[in-house]
Amino acid sequence: MMRPINLLWLAASFLVTLALLALWQWIANHGYVSKVFLPGPDRAFAALTRDYSSGKLFTEVGQTVLRMALGWLVASAIGIGLGAAIGISPFARTWIAPTFEFIRPLPASAIAPVAIVFLGMTDNMILLLIAFGSVWPMLLTTIHGFSNVHPRLDEVARVLRLNRFERVYKIALPAAMPDILGGLRLGLTIALILAVVGEMITVQGGLGSRILLAARGFRAPDIFAGVIMLGLIGLATNVALTALERRLLRWQPAPAT
Amino acid sequence: MTATLHQFERNFEDAPRAAAKTGRKPLISLKGVGLSFGSHEVLQDINVDIGEGEFVCVIGPSGCGKTTLLRILSGLIQASRGTVSYRGKAQTEPASDIAIVFQDYANALLPWRTASQNISLALEAAATPRAERKDRIAHLLEKVGLSKHADKYPSEMSGGMQQRLQIARCLAQNPSVILMDEPFGALDAMTRQKLQDEILAIVSESNVTAFFVTHDLEEAIYLADRVIALEPNPGRIAELIDVPLARPRNQLTTREEPEFLALRRKLFDFVLRYE
Repeated sequence: MMRPINLLWLAASFLVTLALLALWQWIANHGYVSKVFLPGPDRAFAALTRDYSSGKLFTEVGQTVLRMALGWLVASAIGIGLGAAIGISPFARTWIAPTFEFIRPLPASAIAPVAIVFLGMTDNMILLLIAFGSVWPMLLTTIHGFSNVHPRLDEVARVLRLNRFERVYKIALPAAMPDILGGLRLGLTIALILAVVGEMITVQGGLGSRILLAARGFRAPDIFAGVIMLGLIGLATNVALTALERRLLRWQPAPAT
Repeated sequence: MTATLHQFERNFEDAPRAAAKTGRKPLISLKGVGLSFGSHEVLQDINVDIGEGEFVCVIGPSGCGKTTLLRILSGLIQASRGTVSYRGKAQTEPASDIAIVFQDYANALLPWRTASQNISLALEAAATPRAERKDRIAHLLEKVGLSKHADKYPSEMSGGMQQRLQIARCLAQNPSVILMDEPFGALDAMTRQKLQDEILAIVSESNVTAFFVTHDLEEAIYLADRVIALEPNPGRIAELIDVPLARPRNQLTTREEPEFLALRRKLFDFVLRYE
């Protein structure tokens, strides 16, 4: 369904990426930055292919993706569930929402020491960190979505005598879906960041600990290989979410181009 | 609009009810109805009986409480004084056989549901068995001329089509009463005239009672058996005007009748007093 104009844009952005890679290679080849700190893309990709053939790459990427996904899913369940409950109840909004506004601006990494005290240097600590950090955008967008259902739809529901469950499931949830999906997307970005932060703290596998260890060992190509993989994970998850969004929101009028 | 055998049978069954129309057995009865928000009086001492199968239009300058009166009838809001009875019982909450056509169809339709699915909502609400829904939906879509657009989302439809869809969803409720709040106000003149005739056909086919709020005086005369003229501050009934024009009505000939023109002059003079 891709129109020619979109293909053209895709080709253009691909060319820009290639040009940046070439610039990176050129800077590295001419030694403007010491090779110890900045390997060329050739050496970074060599490190990647080496780890790929040894299978180490899959293990590390798998660990990071699994942590990110689990933490994000926990946060999604809590964020959407709690957000819906608060969003449909004006009472809860009045009493609970201000508290959230107080906790929300806390940087998630600041609670890492607290999480370590309770859970130690474990996977559960990383999960808690991810869930705590990424729950906020989901919670707030879900509350916003559920509390901003058009009053006319509420009246339609009353006139049709829908019961409470039907009102939530058939009216409020789909009405809030665009907001919820926006929150899921923001949460996913935060989940990836915190998965890496968590892994750098515990140093028990995953791309985060790989990057940290590589930096301590002055293995610059390995650092860059890890960063490239993180970029690819971010890209892939974003593409997946965009596809989900397209599918769930196909009723929305296409944005004007 | 094709007259099916089904509709014919309904008309036949409804014949005694239609005969009762002249006797005007009140279906909805308002006695001394008033509404205040704090110290602000919106409606004052509204007394009117609406008969089964009657088409009543409400006109009046803006701020006279037309829409508020419709909402009280629907049970969405409660009067502060007086009684509203529907079929002899106090009207305290929306009834399943009273449908409302809102003016802002774009907000009243579910944008994430297709035309069929929007109609389905009313059937789901009435717990219609899944097996029956498909035929009912197809029938209703045909009735409002949207058969070819069953799988379109509201955002893919014109304003006139969206309002037709909302009307179809209301008909899915099998209503005895349809309340319409300036339903054609946002539509262009040609579409409005077409929909006026369609709503008249639907109402006469199924013998529903219609309560129609509008600011278009000619529309009120064209559609109504009776026009309620409200005056503002506070909103109260200024006059109840019978419309003795023959049915079925015709966009050209009815609007040229001396009776129509005389009523038009009368209502314009009435509204001008408040300009």
